[in-house]
Amino acid sequence: MRAGDTAAYDWSALPQGARSAVGVAGLVMAASFLGFGALVRDFGVGLHSGIATTVTVWALPGQVVTLDMLARGTGVAAAALAVTLTAVRLLPMVVLVMSKVRVEGANRWPLYFLCHFVAVTIWRIAEDEIEAVERAKRLPWLTGLGLALMSTMIVMTAVGYHLAQLAPPLLAACLVFLTPSFFFISLFANARISMDYLAIAAGVVIGPLCHRYYPQLDLLAAGLGGGTIAYVIGRIARNRGR
Amino acid sequence: MSGDLGSIGFIVVAGALTTYVWRVLGVMLAERIDPEGELLLWVRCVATSIVAALCAGIVLSPNRILAVTSLDARIIAMAAGVACFYIFRCNTGAGVAASVVALFAAAWFVA
Repeated sequence: MRAGDTAAYDWSALPQGARSAVGVAGLVMAASFLGFGALVRDFGVGLHSGIATTVTVWALPGQVVTLDMLARGTGVAAAALAVTLTAVRLLPMVVLVMSKVRVEGANRWPLYFLCHFVAVTIWRIAEDEIEAVERAKRLPWLTGLGLALMSTMIVMTAVGYHLAQLAPPLLAACLVFLTPSFFFISLFANARISMDYLAIAAGVVIGPLCHRYYPQLDLLAAGLGGGTIAYVIGRIARNRGR
Repeated sequence: MSGDLGSIGFIVVAGALTTYVWRVLGVMLAERIDPEGELLLWVRCVATSIVAALCAGIVLSPNRILAVTSLDARIIAMAAGVACFYIFRCNTGAGVAASVVALFAAAWFVA
């Protein structure tokens, strides 16, 4: 009984979730995608490429890494490895979101659709607001939110792309700067233990060094090398502290 | 046109599939994985370093539009952003706003 299975979710909550896209989190996200659109113009890869990443990748760091490597003509394999390493962080977010929305005995395919929308913003909203929504309504509510946010961000990507050309050069530069600045400060905002700060420092130092000698593999080398060094030093420090 | 299709192909293979696979694994392993485990701790370090290197790269060797600002202006702006983030009690919005304003001011008045 397929129909009976899906009926376990209460889809009437879909528009309600879509409406909750209007809020502080949605506003911050809109500003980020405005900057992302400007960055797409700066990369010179075309608006269609920017929008394609917004729809199919739906995680800004992965989107920027993908387009950065497309612009520089990096090989697909190196790009795929670098992007996938930035995307592993989505796994625990999905695990946490799933624990809040899953309905026992219900059809599973809506989970595979919803998971595509899970990134930092949806995860935060799921942590903060979903408890107030009754369980059968949660998955439709988040799906509605995801669809509304994605539609808005497609528009913001295009607006940022065009603004970058229309605005005076210095203002356009500020718009382009919005995304790297947001990413960099978010690293500090998400850092909880010494390992995280070490990883930031290692990336900042090793990335540019590798860029000089291996420009195609700089992000990958900085990530795997710097991240592992940070993890190992952080672990040793933690074990000593015990 | 073939260039456009090539870009989309690159994005789907290098960006979309490589990202979606972790979301699907998240759904499949939801009941079995520890979101705070050691392996994911290492992954977080690697992802943090990649994003930090990405930002450093954009500051040090920017593309066309951002290149109208000087290197000094970009470094000052990033430092001001991080400083204001902490001054305003870890407020990300305040930090980002400060860094963009600092970039404008540094580029306008200094170089």
